[in-house]
Amino acid sequence: MSSSLPQQYQDLKSSFERRPCDLQRCGQLLDSLKLSLAEAGLLIPQGHHDLGDLTVARDILEIGAFWSIRSQDVPSFERYYAQLQTYYNDYATVLPPSSRRSPVIGLNLIRLLTQNRIADFHTELESLPPKELVGDDPFIKHPVNLERWLMEGSYSKVWNAREEAPAEEYKFFVDSLMGTIRNEIATCEESAYDSLPLKDAATLLFFPNRSDLLNFAQQRGWQIELTAEIIIFSRSVEEKAEIPKRKLIASSLTYARELEQIV
Amino acid sequence: MSKEVEMKSVDEKKKEEKKDQKKDGKNEKKDDKSKDKKDSKDKKEKEKEAEKPKPLTPLQEIKLNITLIERSVVTLEPRFTHRVLRTFTTLKKKLTPEILRESINAVYVKDNLIKQTLLSYLPPPPPPPPKEEPAAMEVDTAVPAATEAKPETKAETKSETKADSKTEAKPTETTPAPPPTDPLPESEVYFRLLLIHWLLTSPESHPKALELVHDTITKIQTWNRRSMDSLAARVYFVLSRVYELLPTVELSEIRPLLLRSQRTASLRHDAESLAAVIVLLLRNYLHYNLYSQADKFVAKVTFPESAGNPQLARWLYYTGRIKAVQLSYTDAHETLQQAIRRAPAATTAPGFWQAVHKFFIVVELLMGEIPDRKTFRHPVLEKAMKSYFEIVNAVRTGSLSQFQASLNAHADQFTEDRTYSLILRLRQNVIKTGIRQLSLAYSRISLRDICVKLHLDSEEDAEYIVGKAIRDGVIEGRVVHEKGWMECGGGKDGYGVEVSEAFGKRISFCLELHNESVKAMRYPLNAHRKELDAAEGAREREKELAKEIADGKNLDGDDESMGDF
Repeated sequence: MSSSLPQQYQDLKSSFERRPCDLQRCGQLLDSLKLSLAEAGLLIPQGHHDLGDLTVARDILEIGAFWSIRSQDVPSFERYYAQLQTYYNDYATVLPPSSRRSPVIGLNLIRLLTQNRIADFHTELESLPPKELVGDDPFIKHPVNLERWLMEGSYSKVWNAREEAPAEEYKFFVDSLMGTIRNEIATCEESAYDSLPLKDAATLLFFPNRSDLLNFAQQRGWQIELTAEIIIFSRSVEEKAEIPKRKLIASSLTYARELEQIV
Repeated sequence: MSKEVEMKSVDEKKKEEKKDQKKDGKNEKKDDKSKDKKDSKDKKEKEKEAEKPKPLTPLQEIKLNITLIERSVVTLEPRFTHRVLRTFTTLKKKLTPEILRESINAVYVKDNLIKQTLLSYLPPPPPPPPKEEPAAMEVDTAVPAATEAKPETKAETKSETKADSKTEAKPTETTPAPPPTDPLPESEVYFRLLLIHWLLTSPESHPKALELVHDTITKIQTWNRRSMDSLAARVYFVLSRVYELLPTVELSEIRPLLLRSQRTASLRHDAESLAAVIVLLLRNYLHYNLYSQADKFVAKVTFPESAGNPQLARWLYYTGRIKAVQLSYTDAHETLQQAIRRAPAATTAPGFWQAVHKFFIVVELLMGEIPDRKTFRHPVLEKAMKSYFEIVNAVRTGSLSQFQASLNAHADQFTEDRTYSLILRLRQNVIKTGIRQLSLAYSRISLRDICVKLHLDSEEDAEYIVGKAIRDGVIEGRVVHEKGWMECGGGKDGYGVEVSEAFGKRISFCLELHNESVKAMRYPLNAHRKELDAAEGAREREKELAKEIADGKNLDGDDESMGDF
């Protein structure tokens, strides 16, 4: 480990923990720290390393992950998360457990939820030990609950849970999550209702005022009758019962050919 | 760079070996024809011997297996080795150190390094055995040794040409006249397998098994013999098993070794080891719940088509699990179903059967289907699937409280089966089934009642949930917000394009099954001779017929000319 690294690490730690946190300074420090980590072979460690070095490297990467969220840089968070995987999986048996591990994992889960990557969400969830899955760790429980409610359709619970985020960083995802929910609800309404009073639509979609709702309705191309104060959802055109001739002919021909081979 | 070099050298080796094998094959075939009859007689006799006295002693069985293995090497027919490996499971239960020692002594008549190393893994012999026994054994070995003498010397020379560069593998063989009864390396590997399995029976000897297994793998990799492939596949399997059983080592430690073996096996077109290693790697990843890594691995690798059914069944099981986790339930359902079909009979491999069925049922539930009641009455499954049966019942009736109760009651078992998180996902299915049942029973129901019947928290939730169900196509209906109720539409009729599609799917499955089974048929080597003879006769008859026809034509022609006039 190069000599400047510990000094910079302390610097990073202090400027990260300062309130309010000095984002710009952290970014600069992180950049140079990553360089020195790469020189020391600790950015993507292989084989045996000093335990202290590994812990420091992990701390730096974790701070980097949080810093990316605070500076609203999701792709950078993804990168830090991928780098942390080595520390969380391969060195899990040697390293002392990190207190920031579950927040980072929870944040990643939320990120996958907001990006509507449910399959990845579950793959990620599966790789957690079952103890953590059912345990009371608030950082993990939060995204797990959110996903369950989303899948069930209990959107109001998701809405109510937005203030219960266990960490500051979670709030960053709340807005985009709400956007996802609104779109979900909107598609549900389109198929489940013939018409809906404006006032009720606003409550269902969690819009505090009318103009937001009108904007949203316009975006989705809903028909609004201002006199009757209702939204009319245009029914999707009934699919016509059409006989797929080509398909039927093709399959009959294959049957004939196969039968020919057998007989 | 280094990889390329490695690849080249491997290729060269392969070529050399092929040449060798071709040469040998040619020579052997000539001899084989003359010998075939003798051999087959011998075989029949032996088989009669083997079958008539029903409880064949393990010692005899081992010896018979050794001759079978050697025959498979000599005739380049892997199916003899497969036959030996099929009896492996029953044989390994009967192993004792005495039997192993005796059989090693019987097969390795001469005292050499191989014998010593093999025997060193056994506990020191108890008081010297009575003199009669070895004498009796030598009489036994005399018969197969005489018949096997010829092919062995040939095989020995073959292995020697290759082994020359690696004398360390077989130091004793360089002596000018190889002893006639020196067994092939394949036999040695077979003995090593037996030894490992015996060592695995007691926990104290596990470290020894570990040592032996690593030694065997390095040997196999230096020998690089195609005739050893199926045995090598077994050795890899045992390697993983040792690591699973031994508490002092981690299963993840062998991952680099397995990945390396996977590369070499695929370069050498060693389909059997390749299949085994791929399956082991998947097992390894899934043991640590590394689903994303396993998925990437599956995407990169192609499973060899020629792999045997057991490996294929395992492969299907693991890929099915990965797909289930990634929410592609239709694929997972198909894959797991194939795994069940390919798996050995339920009574021979009950563990695998149960494990696959557990996942299969959960996936079926997640797809919104209710599994067959028959499955839970199966004698092998009945007991193991009891807790799953409760879950199925809860989903079927759409009762959230019952679902939660059985989930809590059997949480430990589900975590052990690794189905817990999948079952957790069923919650929404329970709700959906509940709503569907309500929609079938009522033509109009208030949201308040839905809330009460499904144990939902609030009317607001109920409205969203019903809306989602309508959008997902679970039910046909409408929500009337102003009145606070749900109106249910009629179901679909049974006519339409879907029906023909469903039939088409089934028909194509049957046709494919037919084609596959035609492809899988084996024909005996010289069976076409008879047909040729028959064809000859037929041709003669045809000639006669042609003659007659020609004569007839003449007549016809005459007739015609007559008619013209």
